[in-house]
Amino acid sequence: MVNDFITVEALNAYIGRLFETDDILQNFWLKGEISGFRCYQQSGHMYFTLKDEQAAVSCVMFKSCTRGLKFKPEDGMEVLLRGTVAMYGKQGKVQVYAEEMQPFGTGGMFLYLEKLKKRLKDEGCFDPEKKKELPPMANKIGIVTSQDGAALRDILRVLKLRHPGVEVVIAHSSVQGTEAPAEIARGIQLINTFGDIDIIIVGRGGGSFEDLMAFNSETVVYAIVDSVIPVISAVGHEVDFSLSDFAADMRAATPTQAAALAVPDYRELEERVCKHAARLQRLMERNLSLREEALDRIMMKRVWREPALLLEKKKNMLDDCNKKLSQAMQDILIRRGHTLAMAAGGLDKLSPLQVLGRGYAILGTRDHIVKSIDDINSGDEIYAELIDGTLKMEMKGKEKRKKWNR
Amino acid sequence: MEPMNFDASLAKLEEIVAELESGQLSLEESLAMFEQGVALSVFCQKELKKTESKVSKLIQKINGDIELEPFED
Repeated sequence: MVNDFITVEALNAYIGRLFETDDILQNFWLKGEISGFRCYQQSGHMYFTLKDEQAAVSCVMFKSCTRGLKFKPEDGMEVLLRGTVAMYGKQGKVQVYAEEMQPFGTGGMFLYLEKLKKRLKDEGCFDPEKKKELPPMANKIGIVTSQDGAALRDILRVLKLRHPGVEVVIAHSSVQGTEAPAEIARGIQLINTFGDIDIIIVGRGGGSFEDLMAFNSETVVYAIVDSVIPVISAVGHEVDFSLSDFAADMRAATPTQAAALAVPDYRELEERVCKHAARLQRLMERNLSLREEALDRIMMKRVWREPALLLEKKKNMLDDCNKKLSQAMQDILIRRGHTLAMAAGGLDKLSPLQVLGRGYAILGTRDHIVKSIDDINSGDEIYAELIDGTLKMEMKGKEKRKKWNR
Repeated sequence: MEPMNFDASLAKLEEIVAELESGQLSLEESLAMFEQGVALSVFCQKELKKTESKVSKLIQKINGDIELEPFED
């Protein structure tokens, strides 16, 4: 019987103590690919295996540390983590306790961002047709940034310079570090809840890639997409894009530029208004002078200067008419006179005097003309009218003629 | 007249200038237009003279109420 033995618990404790006293195992950077990633909702701790081609090791990251993560770990991702090794006695398992973790290399971080960007894009977060139009005459500007940052000073300076009557509402948030994404998102939501704001500027001044990471978080992207008020994203330098830039309705290269995009330049507007007012004045003057000229042209005509001319002309016209009238009348009379003379000539031929002139006589009694031998008897007194007088005669006898040979 | 806003007023002013420029209006019409244009330009200039800027900070209190407090920059 062997008396010199130890328990499993003692063994594991002993191994654990060996680890704890080893400087290398207490603080090292470890590179590997994540697999079997789980994050427990309740505890918030993350469990995963880090592996490479030849080996694997269990890893834990407690909630207190996960808050500092600038990315969302997932299977297949190459990461670099800093941690310690310890013995998990209950299962006799060697575990790595990760304190911080990042995608492997800057390249890894970019890769992660590319993937996140693609996912958000697929979700429709960057859809151009979802972008809201910025109101052209914004008066009330909301700003989500650090109240202590240079970015805020820059934005306020430019806003006031361009629009002296601007109203600004600031929602303070940290812009880097663990809490930044949530605070920025809350700031955007807060301004939306407050309402009555034309445009929100979200941003910060330039910084290292790490410093700007909050603006690459999906939390901020979602908050921007959900904002009812149009958002201008203004992060850091001109060269780099952050995901918030893609999500925003307008991207500004710098906070200064964001301020310039948010409000119109009032001096420029004033110039425009003045220009129009002057043009209005000129147009009206021209309008009036054109009509004045037209009036002048009409008034220049002779008749206005010598109104008698107008009467004279009328009088002439009247005279003309009169002349024509009397001429016409005369013509008519002459024509009629002629006709009368002709008619009179005709009458003359019928006159009994003409007949008497040719040697005929008219026989009659005292009271009637004798046309037949029966009209009178022998012894009757008759009269013969000749051209130059009357013969008084006595009827001696009568003889009936058989017939006139006509 | 409908409640004025700067944007609409400026647009209307530009419209009036263009219409007067066309020269198609009667004297009465152009006088009415002119009068309206002058009123609009006066309004616009007055709007632009507003120089009282205001900066405040939005605070959410523990009970969820949102408040504005003056911000000194």
